[in-house]
Amino acid sequence: MLKIRISILALLCSVLCQAQIDSAFHFTYKFSYVSSIIYPGLSTGAEIPLLHINKELLKKSKPWYFKERFITGNLNWYHHPGFHDNLYITAEWVLRRTRYRGFISEFSLGPGFSRTFLGGTTYKVNDNGDVSVIKLAGYNYAMITIGGGVGYDFSMHKNLPFSSFAKMNLITMFPYNSTIYFRPVLELGLRYSPYKSRHRTVKGPLTTLNQK
Amino acid sequence: MKRTYIFCFLFLLFIGCQKESILISTKASEVFYVENLGASMRVFVEGNTASHIFILIIHGGPGVSSYFYDTKYISTHLGDKYAMVYWDQRNAGASQGTSNGKDLHLGIMVEDLKKVIEVLKFRYGQDISLFLVGHSFGGLIAADFVTTPGYQQMIKGLINVDGSHNYPLNDTLTRQMLLSYGQREISLNRKESKWKPIVDYCLAHSGNFSEDESMQLEKYAGDAENLVDSVKKVNITNFILRYAIKDAYPLTAILSNLLYSEDSNFNKELAVTQFSSSLNTVTVPVLVLWGKYDFVCPLLLGEDFYNRIHSTNKRFAISPVSGHNMILQDNKLFCDEISAFVSQFK
Repeated sequence: MLKIRISILALLCSVLCQAQIDSAFHFTYKFSYVSSIIYPGLSTGAEIPLLHINKELLKKSKPWYFKERFITGNLNWYHHPGFHDNLYITAEWVLRRTRYRGFISEFSLGPGFSRTFLGGTTYKVNDNGDVSVIKLAGYNYAMITIGGGVGYDFSMHKNLPFSSFAKMNLITMFPYNSTIYFRPVLELGLRYSPYKSRHRTVKGPLTTLNQK
Repeated sequence: MKRTYIFCFLFLLFIGCQKESILISTKASEVFYVENLGASMRVFVEGNTASHIFILIIHGGPGVSSYFYDTKYISTHLGDKYAMVYWDQRNAGASQGTSNGKDLHLGIMVEDLKKVIEVLKFRYGQDISLFLVGHSFGGLIAADFVTTPGYQQMIKGLINVDGSHNYPLNDTLTRQMLLSYGQREISLNRKESKWKPIVDYCLAHSGNFSEDESMQLEKYAGDAENLVDSVKKVNITNFILRYAIKDAYPLTAILSNLLYSEDSNFNKELAVTQFSSSLNTVTVPVLVLWGKYDFVCPLLLGEDFYNRIHSTNKRFAISPVSGHNMILQDNKLFCDEISAFVSQFK
């Protein structure tokens, strides 16, 4: 199982690798620690911004907060000893609101796909009583995740292209023993937005794709 | 692409070189899974595997988990001498699978148990001594197992703890016990407001119980146990808080499986299942442990089991402070009796 975990870790890291940073989209990269009570895990992914709307208070010219919409792709893993290791990918629709003081609140929802690896050697016994080991035993599940969280965007007041966040996700996997398996997952992490850094450096306005 | 192929090749080599470790020691603690018909069932082995004596717990339910049977007291008082085996049945506890509800049947569970035993012998040696402990619904699986031709030869002994071998008889005896005990308590003016609805229900439902009636009787049986002052109370919430983190409970999986199994059509099959007529084929040594105040599986059910088996070595012990969960309510008697029984017939 240790080797499987190392492989998963390498896979998670490789998701962040990129040869060229320029692209039509302004990606934001995410790396986080995920945990269910005490069971550890990691998550990494990228966000593609779809929409950016400034909201202003009445009779005030200064924007109060802005709303953003993203599509995110995430690769996640957690380890529950004796139960399973779960490697899952999710695609989420994210609604995020960032106040000009830097505070973030967000909501996300999306489908996913899970592959579990059972938390112990798995045996199969045939009708003759012969016992064999099943390699990489586990199951594939469809998933839906829903979550909400808060955070702080350091780029709002400092020249730091980072934001931190804490998010509570509920992942549901099905069909799990002909029913639905659900698991609350706490996510603590950082997002890195290279495009924000570049905009700050040239002292230009903060723009994103489809800005209104 | 070449690099991808090389990476895939190395990855496959990497995972193909896993070596399994099986611990033969006085303090083993290991998990493995047994796959059968779409279910991968968790088996946790803890304690003295070097003894070559294994005590396999068949938990209740259907849908309850073996996690709730693994207590510090049992680890200390039985696990130090023998290896304790905690098996999560299909669709229970940490057992996993996908669309496997169609295979939730008693006959398949008995085959699951047989395969778990075969894997235990594969891992720890064909010469191991094996004892089964069936609790509640686990008693039904155990009764089915030992009455299946040729199967009882796989074990050294059977321990029936508040187990049900005959569901229709079980319902009849539960109603009888609730009625007689309740009427007595009411006549003595003890908690009559709580006993009255139970007694009224029993008077209104006299036999040929439907599934709903059977479930209601079971619920009242649980309530009744809490009304008897002599019964040692067990706080399940405290129990879970104490062990959930230490033993890495997959709590939401346990809950999902329990809810599914409780509502499953499987229960209709169980409602008419009985092994009274075939218990005369049982010849292995048997220990019967029962709670005096068990309304869920009344004492008379244990006596019926005891009287029907043909084992020459059999013993019946009653806990005066227990209801249906003797394993937790009278853990000393439970461990002492099993320890003596196993040491005699190992």
